[in-house]
Amino acid sequence: MKLSLSWLNKYVDLSSKSVDEIAKALVQIGFEVEGVETHGLAKFEHVVVGEVLQRDQHPNADRLGVCRVDVGDGTIRQIVCGASNYVVGDRVPVALVGAVLPGGFEIKKSALRGVDSEGMMCSARELGMGEDHSGLLILTERPELGTPINDVFPGADTVYDIEVTPNRPDCLSYVGMARELAAYFDLSMNYPDIVTEMELEKAPSLVGELRVDVPDTCPHYRGYSIRGVKIAPSPDWLASALKSVGLRPINNVVDVTNYVLMELGQPLHAFDAAKIRGGKIVVRNAEAGEKITTLDGKERALDASMMVIADAERPLVVAGVMGSVDAEVDDSTVDIFLESAYFVPVSVRFTARKLGLSTDSSYRFERGVDPQGQEFAAMRAIDLILEVAGGELAGTPQIAGEPVCLNRQIEFTGDYMRKMLGFDVSDESIEAVLSRLELEVGHFALDEMRSAFRVDVPSFRVDLERPIDLVEEFLRIYGTDKIPSAPVLSNALVGGDDPMAVFSRGAANSLSARGFAECVNYPLRAANDAGLWSATDAEKFALHNPLSAEQSHLRPSVLPGLLDNLLLNQSRGNDFAGLYELGRVFRADKGKLWEFFSVGLLIPAERAHAWRKAEAPDFYTASAIALDLLRIGGVKAEAANLRPLKAPGLWQDGHCAEFANPAFSMRCGLLDLAMTRDLGIKGDVYAVEISFLPATLEKNLSGGVNFKYKALSQQPAATRDIALLVPSAESAAKVGSSLTKAAREATKGAEFELESLRVFDLYEGKGLPEGMKSLAYTLTFRSPLRTLTDAEVNAAFEKTQELVAKAGYSVRA
Amino acid sequence: MEEELKQIVASAEQSLAGVSSMPQFEAVKASIVGPNGSFTGVRKNLGKLPKEERPAAGKLINEAKDKIDALLLSTMEAIRRAELAARVGPAVDVTLPAPAAATGSRHLIMQIREELCAIMHRAGFAVAEGPEVETEFYCFDALNTPPEHPARAEQDTYYLPESAVFGNVSRKGAERYLLRTHTSTVQIREMLKTKEPPVRIVSPGRCYRRDTTDATHSASFHQIECLAVDEGVSVKDLKAILDYVFKSLLGKESKVRFRPHFFPYTEPSFEVDFYSGHLPKVGKEWVEIGGCGMVDPNVFTSVGYDPEKWSGYAFGFGLERIAMILSGVDDIRYFYQNDVRFLSQFA
Repeated sequence: MKLSLSWLNKYVDLSSKSVDEIAKALVQIGFEVEGVETHGLAKFEHVVVGEVLQRDQHPNADRLGVCRVDVGDGTIRQIVCGASNYVVGDRVPVALVGAVLPGGFEIKKSALRGVDSEGMMCSARELGMGEDHSGLLILTERPELGTPINDVFPGADTVYDIEVTPNRPDCLSYVGMARELAAYFDLSMNYPDIVTEMELEKAPSLVGELRVDVPDTCPHYRGYSIRGVKIAPSPDWLASALKSVGLRPINNVVDVTNYVLMELGQPLHAFDAAKIRGGKIVVRNAEAGEKITTLDGKERALDASMMVIADAERPLVVAGVMGSVDAEVDDSTVDIFLESAYFVPVSVRFTARKLGLSTDSSYRFERGVDPQGQEFAAMRAIDLILEVAGGELAGTPQIAGEPVCLNRQIEFTGDYMRKMLGFDVSDESIEAVLSRLELEVGHFALDEMRSAFRVDVPSFRVDLERPIDLVEEFLRIYGTDKIPSAPVLSNALVGGDDPMAVFSRGAANSLSARGFAECVNYPLRAANDAGLWSATDAEKFALHNPLSAEQSHLRPSVLPGLLDNLLLNQSRGNDFAGLYELGRVFRADKGKLWEFFSVGLLIPAERAHAWRKAEAPDFYTASAIALDLLRIGGVKAEAANLRPLKAPGLWQDGHCAEFANPAFSMRCGLLDLAMTRDLGIKGDVYAVEISFLPATLEKNLSGGVNFKYKALSQQPAATRDIALLVPSAESAAKVGSSLTKAAREATKGAEFELESLRVFDLYEGKGLPEGMKSLAYTLTFRSPLRTLTDAEVNAAFEKTQELVAKAGYSVRA
Repeated sequence: MEEELKQIVASAEQSLAGVSSMPQFEAVKASIVGPNGSFTGVRKNLGKLPKEERPAAGKLINEAKDKIDALLLSTMEAIRRAELAARVGPAVDVTLPAPAAATGSRHLIMQIREELCAIMHRAGFAVAEGPEVETEFYCFDALNTPPEHPARAEQDTYYLPESAVFGNVSRKGAERYLLRTHTSTVQIREMLKTKEPPVRIVSPGRCYRRDTTDATHSASFHQIECLAVDEGVSVKDLKAILDYVFKSLLGKESKVRFRPHFFPYTEPSFEVDFYSGHLPKVGKEWVEIGGCGMVDPNVFTSVGYDPEKWSGYAFGFGLERIAMILSGVDDIRYFYQNDVRFLSQFA
């Protein structure tokens, strides 16, 4: 909201405060200052009209002149000046020693390149009057020497652009803001006086009937009739006041309604009485399909939920929002019907939003105007209309309903205030501060010893209802800078970090330590992209109201975003080991939608040429990382059995694995070669993707330290190697488990057992039958009790070979 | 004999100095202490000496033996070392980069998140997480935001279709699902879960607003929010914790100021500005950084806490904004491009 300082000064005398002090005060009491603009000349001390009596060349600087200047106080001053657009005899603004120019630039007695100077002759820009800095501001009207420069350029004004928070509709007005500043600076308020008297015996009203059909949304409506106005352009003071806040003057009557809206925050509407048909004003809901052409020239269709002010035939105003061209006050208008009403905020907000129309009027009604303010605003407008447009009040006002009475009393104790603040303030200071805000502070006895406050809240403060609201009021005016500094009162942690945070920290540290770069992508993706990654479910994650087609769906995976990043980095010629992201992804299952916590990683197989080739990543690079991430996610190693991913979709068939249960899923391996090629990616890409339901992480990670120690045998181990001939498609896991089973069986009842099994060779090709491969294992046997003899180990090993051969695997010699 | 021994030791010294391999060494060793070695010969002669000369001669022989043994040992050690060194070849150029070198990095926003979580951890706050898909109750109703509040409009907040039902995002009733507009939703879920204060949580995370992306706005961004609820928590405590946070984050010279403001879920409410003149990127201005306030009694009522008994404070910041101020990044979109030249600057 724009706030003109000269207008504000009508209600509170701020002449003792600087532009800057007022800006700081506004910020301090809760009104963000988004801009300060000074039009014309700001107020200056010690800047006066002077005349150049003589100009000599500066002895040490070609571009400077040394002038003798008369400012009419009997002293001729020497001033060094760099301008060149003046001649001896010109009158110019002179800033004398002690003057403070815009930007806080203080004029002091000084020496410029060795020559004394007692002041400064000013350009327009130096005085903050626009951008002209081509030379001194020559005062061609030749005002009297010594005249304060503010008398030469009157009409200066500063306009603050402030933000009024939605809880303070009372501050969407000059009187409201003046009240705030008066409270802060402890100054007195000057409210406008009403001079027009209501004469009861005057002629009847211009409108025969006023009827409100919808008292729930329009509880109070007043109409005043004014006869014989003369429509004309507004006088200067009125027009320039409106212009200063960005309003366009229209004519004297309309301008007065706008002026009062700005002054008091109460929107008014002036009808041309001659255009009201059937002598009737009806406040009702619109009929479906009814149309109105609003003052902005647009025809608008109304519906039955919108409140209008109508005559006998048609709607004339969208209540609280905007009038129509049909009852507009124009040059031919002679008689006026003036509306001052209270509309319920929700109703106006709803209508304004539905019509896509926000006006100064709807903005105030939506937030809540002073429910008791209609009569005063109307009388104030009548005063001004009679003043600027003539005419006379025709009859008593027509009134429907009555002012809404909120009647709030808030009771609290000084101890409550001190407890909430956490520091000591006296009861006297609480009372003084609240009183400055025009709250009526009374007292009552709480018990025999203690008294409490009872505050009557004035009608315009629709935001104050509870004791806590008064804590804020107190602090605003008392000053938040007076909150004392204090130590942080810290207790033991109430709980542990969320498992998602624990997992992300662990996973990110592990991945970054491997040389990968963490990425952050937008979780909203395009439909086709989401479909690519989750063909059947994508539509379930379409947003109801997307802003753009590129961000219309919740992501099913972090991988598509990472692929974008990979492509961008490749196209920019960047070399990198891998990219990863941690974040939420969205999947459908069992007819419901689920939010997962996911970690995804891409490893490009191709790196920039280096002086020596490094080992290229492969499936096992990805699977090792995947298993590590599962471990960090609390999945026990023995539970993480990878298996080939069937119908892999976006993964390369035969080169990818998965591990899934209902609570989480993991995929790793090579991404589909055709897909990465089609995306324009150079080389192969290995990837890992793990998604947990948050509840799973909680279950996995919240157990604290939970391991079972198995005693270590101090006895030496005995190892035997075995090579098995197995079908090429047989998985190592299956062969390994057969072998383990055989070895356990073979050592049954013995004093030792199979401790571990390790694959040490895989061979396929020459020397082996077609379709077969050789898997070689080292078996480690150990006893907890003693050193094993060759004989007993050999016996067990032979038995193992027999058993594994029985299971269908032939043992290679 | 004394002369002879001296001679042998001197000669051993000389010949061993020229030895550079084990075979050479063995040959030289044999020539001294082998069966036909020079030293062995002298020892053998000991028995031939008159009995009275033997102790003195024995002593000399033993001294010579010690010298020779030491020589042999050190020579052998030197050869072994040389052989080991030969296996790894000449000195490497330590200034060459590792072939597939890569600097792992955490994203700047995540580093700020971790740093703030660590700062809050020291003050007794634990990390709490909540879903990004939320409902109108948790995002607005429970936070004292009236039904007609503009933030709830479809113009500003992303909603999911009416038909959507989430298996792991609980609802109060049948209210609509949406993408959370702030991390304050986590406050509500935590308070409902905790049942009874004290509560001290820090909740970092992603938020969504239906904004067109430009240099300073993003439809998805990160916030961090803190909530403390206990008996007797006051405005002074709120100021104290924010002073602590900014001194921890930006240095002891930093200052914080409160500007009264309005948020539906706190009363009183303030905007938080910080001042950190020693930071070159920030300069000499107060910089707006976030919002804070005392938890509104209506919020306590909505989670079943007695507002007469408990009080609390909450504050929150945008992580992107902090990252931009601290690092000088001047366009929020760089955070989401993930150019590794950008990412590696924060490694």
